Amino acid sequence: MTSRSISIGSGSAYSTDRLDWAQELADSGLVDYMGFDCLAERTMALAQVRRLDDETTGHDQRIPELMRRFAGFLRRGGKMVGNFGAANPAAAADDVLRGLKLNGITGVRVGVIHGDDVLDHVLDQDLELPEMGVTAQAITAKVVSANAYIGADPIVELLDEGAQFILGGRIADPSLYVGPIAYEMGWALDDWEKMGTATLVAHLLECGTHATGGNYVDPPYRVLDDIVHLGFPLAHVNEDELIITKLEGTGGAVDIGTMKTQLAYEIHDPAAYLTPDSTADFSHVWVEEVDPNRVRVGGASGRPRPDTLKVLVGVDQGWKVVTEISYGGAGCVERAQLAAEVVAKRLEPHQSGIDEIRYDLHGMSALFDGQLPGGDPAEVRLRIAARCDDRETADAVAFEGQFLWMGPAGGGGVTTQMAPAIGVTPALLPRKDVKLITEVIEA
Amino acid sequence: MKLREFAYSRSGDKGDIVNLCVFVYDDDNWEVLRRELTVEKVRDKFGSLVDGEITRYELPGTKGLNFVMTEALGGGVSMSLRTDPHGKSYQSLILEIDIDADEEIKPHLG
Repeated sequence: MTSRSISIGSGSAYSTDRLDWAQELADSGLVDYMGFDCLAERTMALAQVRRLDDETTGHDQRIPELMRRFAGFLRRGGKMVGNFGAANPAAAADDVLRGLKLNGITGVRVGVIHGDDVLDHVLDQDLELPEMGVTAQAITAKVVSANAYIGADPIVELLDEGAQFILGGRIADPSLYVGPIAYEMGWALDDWEKMGTATLVAHLLECGTHATGGNYVDPPYRVLDDIVHLGFPLAHVNEDELIITKLEGTGGAVDIGTMKTQLAYEIHDPAAYLTPDSTADFSHVWVEEVDPNRVRVGGASGRPRPDTLKVLVGVDQGWKVVTEISYGGAGCVERAQLAAEVVAKRLEPHQSGIDEIRYDLHGMSALFDGQLPGGDPAEVRLRIAARCDDRETADAVAFEGQFLWMGPAGGGGVTTQMAPAIGVTPALLPRKDVKLITEVIEA
Repeated sequence: MKLREFAYSRSGDKGDIVNLCVFVYDDDNWEVLRRELTVEKVRDKFGSLVDGEITRYELPGTKGLNFVMTEALGGGVSMSLRTDPHGKSYQSLILEIDIDADEEIKPHLG
């Protein structure tokens, strides 16, 4: 019997990530599996809002393009796992089946995971929303969605049933990779040491080009070759070693620096990284470069997974409006500050409908609240951002921003953005309350 | 010298919480980083940007520090009115911290 191994690539790290580079990796023949994370914290709530508007939507919009690009990969027997379902796994499955047909692919089993939508539980159990300082029932009318982060269990179950394309709703980012790794390596889902190891590999892949030079370079200190065309990362896993690399001929790097920054990305206590699959310990992880763009990692361990699952609750926060205008030349900062004062005065009659408003000067204080001192700039951009209870108040803010055409003098380039404000806030739900249902559809 | 001359960083967000990891280019600078980059220095640099707690964790395996800052994004990416609601730019601010140990530090660029 040959020893067990898996080669798995990263295909997407957010809802509009670029699929062309992911396709290059899939078509390279280097990987048997591709994982696709398509959901940021806010994406899920926005998807729920789309579904409330039209019950046939709320899933990943890229599925037709995805099926076209990955038809070759699927024909060669490649397996794909993604949270393409977002707020509507059933609609995503329909799109996948349509895409398979359109591209003439037959014999693919599609696995669908339902049950991460836990809105009823959140309201019935009146869950605490610690970041908002209230419980769910106190704001029932404003709660628009609640989805639990689900783990690798249903993925392993579906792979075991022969599924080649697996989709669900809020599957946790690392679990998209932990599932295939556990299945192919024969690692038990309660072998916490192994789950910690699988979670390490998953975490290094789940953010796509973040591991290969994205959000990394800082000349002249950190410089990489060809960041114009980065490669997506992939992992080769066997019982002896964990290798992270990228497609040859692509830019960026898989090196000590890109691996370390990805290792700690969005981690709190490195000794207790909580996921639905384990409490992973990355504190003693080591990274070693074995060849250019090829690193070996190890040293992860794990403890039992949490008894609760994290839930992200979507909350209607009214309207968000942002309006901007630029001032330049001598006295530009003073004129921009004066403009802010004038707008604040003009908005006084609307104060009761404004939940929060802020005035920033780009080029001076927008990113760091003035924590870094600087000299007088040649130009500044005044940015007025407000969260309002209702559309009328948001319109009033936008109107006052636009009226700055009329002074103080020399303001130009007004832009305004307006959108419903959907907040997301975390809660914890006992694991036993999340009932997942898996389904296999033969295409 | 500035932290940027011998270390690099990345920020990440979860809700209203930011984490900022810091690693040294040269392992020889790890002990200086550990000793000098305190929660107090980070709090001082971030000032009004962070309303909550700052906790420091160590990653001895990769010789890095991880700072976790709560109430650090004006409500989190979905509610924040800030220009950078993810705090992506925070990774540049932390590297502006002055570390007063020039004679012990080997700078990354000679």
